[in-house]
Parts: sequence; C-alpha cells; structure tokens
Amino acid sequence: MPGLTSSILMATQSLLADQGALATTTNNISNANTPGYTREVAILNEAPPSIEGSLVYGNGVTLDKIQSVRDQLLDLRISEETQQQGSAQSQLSAMQQVQALFSDSTQGIGADLTAFFNSISQLSTNPTSVPQRQSVLTAAQNLVSSFQQTESNLNTIQSDLNQSVSDTVSQINSLTQQIAQLNAQVGQLQSLGKDPGVLADQENQLVQQLSQLTDVSVIQTEHGETITTSGGTALVVGGQSFSLQVAPNASGMEHIFAQGQDITASIQNGQLGGTLQIRDTVIPGILNQIDTLAGQFATSFNTAHEAGFDLSGNPGAAFFSVTAGTGAASSLRVAITDPNAIAASSDGSAGSNGNIAQLMAVQTQALPSGANPLDSYANVVSLTGNVTAQAQAEVSASTASLNQLNDQRGSISGVSIDQESANLITYQRAFEAAARVVTTVDQLTQTIIGMGASAPTVY
Amino acid sequence: MRINPNITSDILNAISQAELQQQKAVQEVATGKRVNVPSDDPAAAAEMVQNLALSSQTDQYLQNTSSVEGLLQTADSALSSVVTSLNQAIGLGVQGSTGTLSSSNRQAIVEQLQGVFAQVVQLANSSYEGSYIFGGTATTAPPYAPDPTQTDGVTYNGNTGVNSVDIANGRSIQINVPGSQIFQAAGGDVMGSLQQLITALQSGNTTASGTATTQLRTAMDSLSQQRVFYGNAINQLTSNQSFLQQEKVNLQTQQNDLVGIDPAQAATDLSQAEMAYNSGLAAAAKVLPPSLMDYLK
Repeated sequence: MPGLTSSILMATQSLLADQGALATTTNNISNANTPGYTREVAILNEAPPSIEGSLVYGNGVTLDKIQSVRDQLLDLRISEETQQQGSAQSQLSAMQQVQALFSDSTQGIGADLTAFFNSISQLSTNPTSVPQRQSVLTAAQNLVSSFQQTESNLNTIQSDLNQSVSDTVSQINSLTQQIAQLNAQVGQLQSLGKDPGVLADQENQLVQQLSQLTDVSVIQTEHGETITTSGGTALVVGGQSFSLQVAPNASGMEHIFAQGQDITASIQNGQLGGTLQIRDTVIPGILNQIDTLAGQFATSFNTAHEAGFDLSGNPGAAFFSVTAGTGAASSLRVAITDPNAIAASSDGSAGSNGNIAQLMAVQTQALPSGANPLDSYANVVSLTGNVTAQAQAEVSASTASLNQLNDQRGSISGVSIDQESANLITYQRAFEAAARVVTTVDQLTQTIIGMGASAPTVY
Repeated sequence: MRINPNITSDILNAISQAELQQQKAVQEVATGKRVNVPSDDPAAAAEMVQNLALSSQTDQYLQNTSSVEGLLQTADSALSSVVTSLNQAIGLGVQGSTGTLSSSNRQAIVEQLQGVFAQVVQLANSSYEGSYIFGGTATTAPPYAPDPTQTDGVTYNGNTGVNSVDIANGRSIQINVPGSQIFQAAGGDVMGSLQQLITALQSGNTTASGTATTQLRTAMDSLSQQRVFYGNAINQLTSNQSFLQQEKVNLQTQQNDLVGIDPAQAATDLSQAEMAYNSGLAAAAKVLPPSLMDYLK
C-alpha cells in the first residue's frame, strides 16, 4: 500500500511533467512565427503501476518525450512543388526580359522590314532620284542594325543567365554542406530513437531552400536523409555532401558536373533547371529563327537585286552581305554604299523601275523556311509571348498549389496560439493542483508527526 | 478538424493577388491597350506585327499615289498644250492650203508652223522632278533632239520602256507612255505630219499641204487617244486614294479589336479589382488581431 512519501514523489513527478509540458507550450508560442517551425507536443504517459495483491495503484505521470508534429510525405510534396515553382519563376523572369525586346511592334525588325520595303516602293515612283535611293540605303542600314541589336540583346540575356548558373551552383553547394552537417546530427538522434525536433526543422527548411534552386529527391533513411538530384546524382548522403562543379563548354556556356560527369541536361527543375531551359533551349531557338530569317532574307533579296541593273546600267551586285548559320543576324551588313548601285532597272536604262517589282516580291514571297519575312518575324513574337505566358501560368499554378500545401502543412504542424493558450492554462492548473497535493501531503505528514508529539504524556 | 492557424500568409497572398489584378486593370485603362507585352495575348501580338506592317504599307501606297499623281498631271497638261498647238497648226495648214496665198504670206505661215513644231518638241521634252516623262525609261536625257536630216525633223533618244508603280496591295498602275508611241505612232505621226506640212507649204504644193493637214488631224486624234491614258490613270489614282483611306480606317479598327480595351469592360474590371483589394485589406484588419490571449487578461 502506497504511503504518503510515494504521494509526494508522484506529485513531484507531476510537477516536473507539467513543467516540461509548460516549457513545450512556451517554446511553441515563442516559435509561432518561425519559418519552418514544427509545433511540438509533450507526450505524457501513465507511470508503470505498482501491484499489491489484487490492487493496482497508479504511479502518476511521466513525460515520455517531446515530439514534433510533422507529415513527412507532405514535406516531400512541398519540396517537389517548390522545385516547379523555382523553375517557372526563373523562366518567367528571363522571358520577361526576352519579350521586352519584342513588345513594341512599332519598332524593331518587323517595323524596319516594312520601312525598308516602303522606301523601295517609294523609289519606284522616281527611280533616278538620288535622295530616294539614299533613303533606301538608310532604311536598309536601320534594318541591319535592328537585326544586330536584337541578336546582341538576346546574347546578353543568355550570358546573364549563364552567370546565374554558376552563382546558383555555388549556393547549392553551400546548402548541401549545411544540410550534411545537420543530417549527421539528425541521423544520430534518430538511430537512438529520439525525435530530432528543431534540428529536423532546420534541415527541412534548408531542403526547401535547396528545392527552390534545383531538382532534388529526398529519401528518408534511418540515418537521416539522402538527397539526390532527380537524375540520381548524390548531393547529401548521411553526414557527407557532394559538391557540384561548373566548367564552360566550347561556346562559353557553363555546364554542371558531379564527380566528373556532365549532368547539365538532367537538371529540369528548380531555379537552375528553369535557367538552363531558357539559356539552352528557348533563347537558342529564338536566335536560330532570327538567324534563319536574316540569312534567307538577305539571300533572297540579293538574288532579286542581282537580276536588275543599277543607275549606270551595270548588273546589280549583292545588296546585303551575310554569313548564313549561327550568328547570321550579327553578320548582316549592307554591302553597297553607293546609292546609284541600287538595281532598280530591269533593262539597263536609268529610268526603269522594272526590277523593283522583283525586289518588292521578296516582301511577300515565302522564304525557304516556309513563311515570308514579316510572318517569320511575327512567329518569333508569338513564340516569345507563348513561352512567357506559359511560364506565367505555371508560376500562378505552382504558387497556388504551394499555398495550399503550406496551408495543409500549417494545419498539421503550425502553432495555434489559441491551442497553446488553452494548453498553458491546462498545464498551469495541473501544476497548481500538483503543488496543492504536495502541500496537502505535507499537512498530512505534519498530522502524522503531530500524532506522536501530541500524545498524552503518562506520568 | 485542425485548420492552419497561421492565416497571415494566406491573407497576404490574397491581398497581393488583388493588388496585381488592380495594377493590371490600371495599366489597361491607362494605356487603352489590352495587350501590352506579347505574353498578354501571343496571337494578337503576332497579328499586330502584320497589322502595323499593312498600315505602314498603306501609308506608303498613299505616298506613291500622290507622287505618281504629280507626274501624271504634268504629262497630261503637257499633252493638253500639244493639242492646243496642233489645233493651231491645223488652222495654219488649212489657211496655207488655199491657193490664193502670196508666197510671202505662205512663208509667214511656214515660220509660224516651225514655231509650233519647236514648241511641240519642247513639250515632248517635259520633265517632272528632273526626269523626262516622254522618254520611256530613258529619263535622264531629253528624249527629242531636233534633227533636220530626219524626215520627222527629230531624233528620238528615248526607248519604249514603261514603268509601273504599286498603288495598293496587289494593284499597280502604268505611269508612262513612251514618247515614240505618242508623237511618232504609225498612222498618227505628229512630228512627221508637222514636218510634211512645213515641207509642202515651203514648196507651195497646196495639194500636198492639204493631204498633210488631213494627216495632222489624224495624228492629233491619235495623240488625244493616248492622252486618255493619262486621264484614266489620274481618275484611277483618285479612287484609289479613297480606297486606301478606307483601308487605313479598317486597319485601325482591326488594331483596336486586337489589342484595344473595351472601355466599359475595363472600367468595370478596374472597380472590381479595387473593391477586391480594399475588401481584402479590410478583412485582414478585422481578422488578424484576436486570439484567445485577448480574452485571458
């Protein structure tokens, strides 16, 4: 049969348990606004009972452990969605720069193409006029500048993205190092069957940051997490991190290497994936279209020009010079400088404008690429618009879905001040009651001690 | 069910969404454009490229039309003067063919006719903005040079080339008739008839001068027919001008349909976005503060 001493002990244990629970509540309230914090609950358990004959006495309460309330599956989903969002966001910000080059339809390649043909059309009204011939050359020069400028602007955006690739990779390396350090400690605690709590929160937070940057897949093991890229390249295993390296390829584009292997093509998500997508696929695609346009337009126009005769009756020379292929738009030049060298005549007489019809035909005839020059340019405009709009839609979609997931995570792991306040009162009252038990037992003990002291003395 | 206790981020998201909507609505109203960057509507942006090109081409066609109009009018009025001169020459021819004239009177008529001939040659060498308009496509030198060794009294240095100018999409107009076709056409040779009349009168052969006068009449009719070409072309240009003006209006309308806003719709959108933003803020101000803590004091 339990005595008063065991009651005191039980009450003391209860005081300790309540203190622990209060401390947990305090910690929760303190971290209510800490990003990535997972609320903790004090797990209280009945102490093992003592059995005396047919009686089973409860032995009070023990504070079993402080446990974080987390849903690991949800954390993985958040990591995946964060990767999508990171990719879409970096695509969007790059594409916004790209589409700015094509936003104003009243200037640029399209408008200059039309202005060029207009100047030729004007020349048809007075083919011997030197001022009108000069204005054809000026319009051609403007067109050439537009081609060059568009290509050089795209190249600048591409090399900015290239710079950000190496920046992102060094961020990734620093994050994987930090994660590996935490992961070692988390693994240690887990292998001892303990809840890693705050450490796991911190690690989780870093993994989310890493997800923003690149595509990762996280595997939970008994010894913490194993983090790989989606292509299977290890980034963190246990307490060890594997850093990524960058090295430029022949055209100066940074490629990403893991343990000597080029993994650039396998990175699809996160900021890095999005940046690579724009740098290696979208911008080269646009550049290719513009180069094709520049090359084919110049060639077709030259063919038409060479069929005519200039003001002095000589056969027309090449109007443009261009090196077809990559960089054609940058290589485009006006090959003639003498306004009299424009071949407007079809029969060698100075006043003939017969060849202008051939020159004008270049405006409406399909180039070998299948579309006429202006349509080819319009295709580039709609391509940039489409890619940007798509990135925009992806950003909204992944943001919405991420918000929902975070809500869901919050509903499981978030700190509710209301709940914690209620807990605070509950534990406070329990603590007060346990303290009262101690006082009561103390009084009882006094009574017992007094029992002896106040016994009638026999003389 | 446990709900996410931290509604701050949700509220902030909602507010920033509403703010974004509002910004977009303001931009649309301010610029009057629905499509400000290609991603707003890629297809419309691409069509805008075409539309602006067509619109700029139409401007060019209008400019071509007025440039050509000047040329055609100069040619027409030159030919009108030629007709006046020829009428004068025919009068002189009729007068000279009556057998009662003294040789000195005939000589005076011959001199007048020589003056008419020189005038016709001068008119045939008319130029517009530095280009000779009756030399075919050889426009840099005067097409007619007086040459007594020729039966027609002139050498034609022009050619038989013609120029055409685009005045609308897929529509072009011939802008000249070679001088040889106007002044020296077979069966309507103005220069030759004049020369023949002068020679006949000089020799005092009234029969020959009568024949030459008749020939000159035929030649003048032929020239008048050629002149109709210019009149027709000018009429065509005038009607083309109003067609192009209409075309420009059409393109403008199309442009507005493509990227413009519907003002009523835009205004409604703006006030809706404004309301969403304001109510988001109001709701946040109401919802955020209370917690159980507020009631435990």
